[in-house]
Amino acid sequence: MNKRKHRHADLDAELSSPDLDCQPIDPQTGQPLPLRAQVGYYPGYQTLRQQRFWDAATRDVVMRRMHEVPPIRFFTLAEARQLAAVAARIIPQDDRELAYRIPIVPWIDERLHSGRIDGYRYEGMPADGEAHRLGLQAINDIARALHDKDFIDLTPPPQEGILRTLHDDNPPAGHAIWARMPVQRYWMLLVQDCIEVYYAHPFAWDEIGYGGPAYPRGYMRLQHGQPEPWEKDEVRYSWRAPKWSVSQEYTPLGGGHDTITPGQEGTH
Amino acid sequence: MVKDTSLFGIFRKENDQPHQLGPMQRLDVPMRHYTDADVVDVVVVGVGSAGGVLVQRLAKAGWRVVGLEAGPFWDTERDWVSDEAGSHNLYWNDLRITGGKDPLALGANNSGKGVGGGSVHWAGFTPRFHPSDFRVYREDGIGADWPISYEDVKPYYELLEREIPVAGPAYYPWGDPHGYIYGPHPLGQVGAVLVNGCTTLGIRSVAGGPVAILSGSHGDRPHCIYRGFCIQGCKVGAKQSTLISHVPDAVAHGAEIRANAMAARINLGNDGRVTGVTYFDHAGQERCQRAKLVIISGYAIETPRLLLNSATTGYPQGLANSSGTVGRYLMAQAGNVILGRFDEPVRMYKAPPAHALTEEFYETDRRRDFARGFSIQTVGPLPIAFAKQMMVAKGAWGWGLREVMMDYNHWSALGLLGEILPWADNRVTLATETDQFGLPVAHAHFDLHDNDHKLIEFGKNTVMEVMRAAGAQEIVQEPRYAHLIGGARMGNDPATSVVDGWGRTHDIPNLFICDGSIFPTQGAANPGLTIQALAARTADYLITLGAEAAAFRPGHTVMPPLRTELSPAQTTGRGVPRLTSRTPNVHIGLGGLAPGGKA
Amino acid sequence: MAVKTGDWVHGAWQLGRFAWRSTRHRRTLAPTLVRDSVSVVQHIREGRFQRSLALIAAFAGLLGGVEVTSEHYRGSYGQRVMYTPVILGPLLGIAGVLGAINRRAARTLLPLASCLMLGDGVLGFFFHIRGVARKPGGWRIPVFNIVMGPPLFAPLLLGIGGFLGIIASLLRREDDPIHELAWGTRWHRRPAWVEALPRRLTREGFVVGQDIREGRFQRILAGATALSALLNGAEALYSHYKNRFSYRIQWSPILLSPAIIAAGLGAIWSKQVARTWLPIVSALALLDGAVGFGYHLRGGLRHHPGGIKQPLHMVMYGPPLFAPLLYAATGFIGLLASLLRRAD
Ligand SMILES: Cc1cc2nc3c(=O)[nH]c(=O)nc-3n(C[C@H](O)[C@H](O)[C@H](O)COP(=O)(O)OP(=O)(O)OC[C@H]3O[C@@H](n4cnc5c(N)ncnc54)[C@H](O)[C@@H]3O)c2cc1C
Ligand code: SF4
Repeated sequence: MNKRKHRHADLDAELSSPDLDCQPIDPQTGQPLPLRAQVGYYPGYQTLRQQRFWDAATRDVVMRRMHEVPPIRFFTLAEARQLAAVAARIIPQDDRELAYRIPIVPWIDERLHSGRIDGYRYEGMPADGEAHRLGLQAINDIARALHDKDFIDLTPPPQEGILRTLHDDNPPAGHAIWARMPVQRYWMLLVQDCIEVYYAHPFAWDEIGYGGPAYPRGYMRLQHGQPEPWEKDEVRYSWRAPKWSVSQEYTPLGGGHDTITPGQEGTH
Repeated sequence: MVKDTSLFGIFRKENDQPHQLGPMQRLDVPMRHYTDADVVDVVVVGVGSAGGVLVQRLAKAGWRVVGLEAGPFWDTERDWVSDEAGSHNLYWNDLRITGGKDPLALGANNSGKGVGGGSVHWAGFTPRFHPSDFRVYREDGIGADWPISYEDVKPYYELLEREIPVAGPAYYPWGDPHGYIYGPHPLGQVGAVLVNGCTTLGIRSVAGGPVAILSGSHGDRPHCIYRGFCIQGCKVGAKQSTLISHVPDAVAHGAEIRANAMAARINLGNDGRVTGVTYFDHAGQERCQRAKLVIISGYAIETPRLLLNSATTGYPQGLANSSGTVGRYLMAQAGNVILGRFDEPVRMYKAPPAHALTEEFYETDRRRDFARGFSIQTVGPLPIAFAKQMMVAKGAWGWGLREVMMDYNHWSALGLLGEILPWADNRVTLATETDQFGLPVAHAHFDLHDNDHKLIEFGKNTVMEVMRAAGAQEIVQEPRYAHLIGGARMGNDPATSVVDGWGRTHDIPNLFICDGSIFPTQGAANPGLTIQALAARTADYLITLGAEAAAFRPGHTVMPPLRTELSPAQTTGRGVPRLTSRTPNVHIGLGGLAPGGKA
Repeated sequence: MAVKTGDWVHGAWQLGRFAWRSTRHRRTLAPTLVRDSVSVVQHIREGRFQRSLALIAAFAGLLGGVEVTSEHYRGSYGQRVMYTPVILGPLLGIAGVLGAINRRAARTLLPLASCLMLGDGVLGFFFHIRGVARKPGGWRIPVFNIVMGPPLFAPLLLGIGGFLGIIASLLRREDDPIHELAWGTRWHRRPAWVEALPRRLTREGFVVGQDIREGRFQRILAGATALSALLNGAEALYSHYKNRFSYRIQWSPILLSPAIIAAGLGAIWSKQVARTWLPIVSALALLDGAVGFGYHLRGGLRHHPGGIKQPLHMVMYGPPLFAPLLYAATGFIGLLASLLRRAD
C-alpha cells in the first residue's frame, strides 16, 4: 500500500477502540483478523495508481476527496462525535488500519453546511439538517432509556443494538421525535448519507474491486467479469462480523409493506 | 468562441479555453444575444430533451429564438467528471416535496438541470412507443387515448433515430418492427445475463440497443468506450444529449441559449395571449424576455409548477388551467431493480448500463389480471447506487453492508420498466415552501392503484425468473420508480386536457407545451426518444404556420411536411444501409380533427 | 419443393457406389495424383498459374468483403468511406472469377479491381490510424485505443487480396506455352498511356513484370509473406489480448508469426531458407489457421450470450470467424513463394 499521507479526521481516530473485540473474525479459528491497510478481496489493487489515465477534472475531484477533508461547521462537536460513533456502526471500519479509515462525518457535515440536498424531501420530514439533529437526539434518548448512558459512552455491542431498533422501525424511546419524523425515512437518510461518503472514496473502490474513473481510458474486457489488464483478480478470504454483532444478519427493513421505500438513485 | 464576455456569462472563458463538448467537439461560433427590449419570435423555457430539439429546429428555420435554461451551459471537459459522487450537480437538486401513499423519489432519480436537461444523465435507452400506446383507453377501457396516433409520430421516430443516431439491432421485433441506423453494441456481462436468462425461458430479447449511444464514430463524436458512466453524463460524447447533438447547431443558426436563467412566470397580456417570460438571471436579477410565442419544456414537475406559479386574473388556478388538469395525471414508470448474485464475477460497472432489453410483456395480455405491461432492461448501478439498493433490497447495514459490498463484482442488475396508468389524484401542486428565488416549490402526490400494484408484482416476479434462469443463486429486489411523465396532458377535449395534439394550450393560442409532461399515457418504453420526436413534430408545425402560429389558432387542419432539411448536419449519408419504411408522412393531420381541438 | 427423405437415401447410395468403384482403380489413382501435382508445381515455377491465383484473389476478396461488412457494421458505417471496402471486396471477387474464366478480364478488370482494393487498403490503414488518434486520449493511451479502436492492420490485410490479384493479372495462364515472349510483343500490347511514360521509369517495371510472368518472383512473394505474417500477428495479438488469452492456444499465432517473418525475410536473401524454412513455417501457419478457425467456430457457437439458440448473436458477439483463415492465407502465400523461382 502506497504510504500516502492521508489527513485523517480526528473524530474517527478518537473513536476507534483499541479492543481487538471489534474486529471481524476468521470463522475457522474464531480469532480476530489482523488489521489491514487494504481490506477486501483484491490485494494490491489501487485505483489511485491509474490517475494518469484520468482526465484533469476527475482527478481534481477525487484528489480533493482524498486530501481536503473539510472541518466541522454544521454540527456541534458533541453532535459530530455522536454521529461519528453512529457512522462507525453503520459502516464499521474496525478491520482497517487507522490511517486507512475513510472519514465520514466531515463530508456529511459539509453537505449540510452547504445546504446541498438530493432534490426532494418527503412530506412530513423536516429538512435534512434538522432531521439529522433530531435523529441524534432520539438515538441518545434510546441509549439513556435502555442503558442509562449517552450513546457515545456505550461500547459497540449496545450501540449496534440501538441502531438495530431503528432498522427494525421499532425504537423503544424518543417517541416525541419519531412523531415528527418517520423512523424509516430517517434511517434511510442516515444510512444513505454514510454510503454516499464511504463508497465515493478510492479506498472503498479498492476494497470492492471497482474500476473507478474511466475517462479517457475506458474498459475493454466487458464480459465474464474479466479484469482489465490493470485490475486484479479476486482473492477471497472468509470472515465474519464479531460474535456480538447483529448487523450481518440481513433482516428486511422494518416498517411493513404499507409504505414503499423507493430507490433514490437513477438507473434507467 | 465569442470574444466579448457575453451578457449572461454563459461561455466562461478562463484561460481562453474553448467551450468543449466532448473531447473533439468545440462550440466556437459567437452566440447571438437579444436584449430585454427585443420581442423575439419564440422563447423556449427549458433547454432539455425537448427544448434542445425545438431551439435547433426553429433557429435553423430562421426564427429568432431564446432558450431559457435554469441550469448551466455545460463544458463537458471542465464541468463533468468520471465519478459517481462528483456528478451530483447534473440533477435537479432544488427542493421539491414528495408525498402520498407511495411517494416518488425525485432528484437524481428523474430530472436534470442544465443545457441538455434529462438527456445529459439519461441511460440512453431509446425504444419507440408501440402503436397500442396511443389508444390505451380504446383498447383497455382504462387510462387515456392520445389525440394522435403512432403513424403521426413514426416519421419523426425515424428522423430522430438518424439525428441521435440510435444504435441497435438490425431487426427489432416489437411494436411496429423496424431496424436501427447504427449497429448494435458489444454486450457487457449484464446484457449477457439478460439474454441468457430470456433465451433459457424462450423469451425473445434484443442486444446492443436500441440506445442513443454511438457504436461507431459520428462526426466530432467518438464512439462509446464502455466505461459505464452514462448516468453521470458522458464525457466522451458517445451518448447523445441535446447539448451535443442539437444545441451547437442551434447556436450556429443564431439561437441564444441563456443559461442559469430560471423562469418564474409566463406573462399574460390583455388580449388573452402571452407576452413573454419573467425569469431570474444568473445574478438573481428578475428580468423579462418578451416574445411572440412561448413554449414550455420544463418536464413533468417544473412545467406544471411554472403554470401554477403563473396564475393571474382570468386564470386563478394556474395559467392555461381552465380545465383544472394542470399538474394532474402525473405518472412514473415502475422501475424496480432486481439484483442477482452469481458465482462467476460480473463487474457490472463495465459497458453502458443500457444495452439489452425485452419488450415481450409490453402489451395487455388478457390472461393476466391487469391492463398494459412492462419491459425488462439492463441496468448497471455503480457502487453508491448499488449500496443504497442493497440497503433496501437486503436490509443491509453495518457489517452486512460491508460484506455484500465486497461482493459488488458478483452482482448483476436488471430493471423492470412497467407502465403505471394516469390517475387524476396523482398530481403536482404548489407547496408552502419556497425556493431560493422565493417561488413556491412543487409538491408531488403519488399513490399506486390496483392495476399498478398487480402489474408491478407480476413484472417483478418475471424479472426474478429471468435472473434465476440466467443462473443467479441469490435474488433480491428494490422497489423504484423511473421516468416522470404527465402533468399537462394533451387531448382533444379542452375540458379534460391542457394542450392539443401539437402542444398548443387549449386556453392560450400562443402558449405551447412540449416535453414529457404532455403525454397522456407512458407505455412501457423509456420516454426520451418520443419526447424528442414530438418536439421535432411540433417544430415542423410551427414552421409551417410561420407568423400565423403566434397569431391565432388555425381553423383548418394543418399537415406540416417532414422537414428533413432542418436536421443537424451529418444526419444523412451514413449509417447502416437498410430498407426504410414506406410510410411517408401522409397520416399527419388528426383524423378529421382540427389541431385547434375546439372544433 | 420439399426434398423427401427417400431422395437423400438414394443420393447417399449412389455416392457410396461411386466411391466403391473408384477405389477399384486405386492403383492408377495414386500416380495420377502425383503426376498432377508435379505439373501444378511446374506451372507455378513457370508462372503459369494465373487462373488459380485469380480464383484465390477472388476468394480473398469475398472473404475480406464479408469480414469487413460485419466489422464495419459493428462500427455502424459512421463514416462514408467505410462503405468502400464493402463494395470493393465483392468487386475483386467478381473480377477474380471472371479473370479465371476469361483471359481478357484477367488483364483488364482484374488489375483494375485489384489496384482499387490495394489502394483502399492503404487508405483504410490511414483512416484507422486516424481513428485511433480521434478516440478519447488518442495515441497517448495507445494500448487501450488500439485494442478498442478500429483494427489498425485489417485494411492492409484486405489490401493483400488486391496484391494477389495484381500478381495474378501479370502471370501467364496454365495453358499458355512454356516459353513466351516479352511483354508488348503479342496481343497484349502495352497500353498507350504506358508508352507515354518515360522509358527509364517503365523499364524496371517491365523487367519485374516479365519475371513475374515467368514465375521468377520468389523474393517478392516471400516479402509479402513476411508482411502478411506481421499484420496478422499484430491483429491476433491485440484481439487475443483483449480476450485476456483465456485459452493457451491463443498464443500460437503470436508465437508463430515471428518465425514466419524471419523465414520470409530470410528467403529474400537466401534460396536455402526459401526452400526449407519457408515451406515448413508456412505449412504450420496453414495448420494454425485451420485450427483457429475451428476454435473460433466453436467459440462462436458456444460462448456467446444465448448460446446455440441465438445464432445471430454469434456473428455480432462471437470471435471473428474468418480472421484465422486470413492467417492461413499467409501460410498459403508462403508455400507459393517457396515453390517459385528467383529472379536471378
Ligand atoms: C437516471 C435516469 C436515467 C434515464 N434513462 C432514460 C433512458 O434510458 N431512456 C429514456 O428515454 N429516458 C430516460 N430518462 C428520462 C429522460 O431523461 C427524461 O424523460 C427526459 O429527459 C425528459 O425530457 P424533457 O425535455 O421533458 O425534460 P428535461 O430534459 O428534463 O428538460 C427540462 C429542462 O428544463 C429546465 N427547466 C425546468 N424548469 C425551468 C424553469 N422554470 N426555467 C428554466 N428552465 C427550466 C430544466 O433545467 C431542464 O434542463 C432517464 C432519467 C434519469 C433520471
Ligand atoms: S459507457 Fe459509453 S455512452 Fe456511457 S458514458 Fe461511457 S462512453 Fe459514454
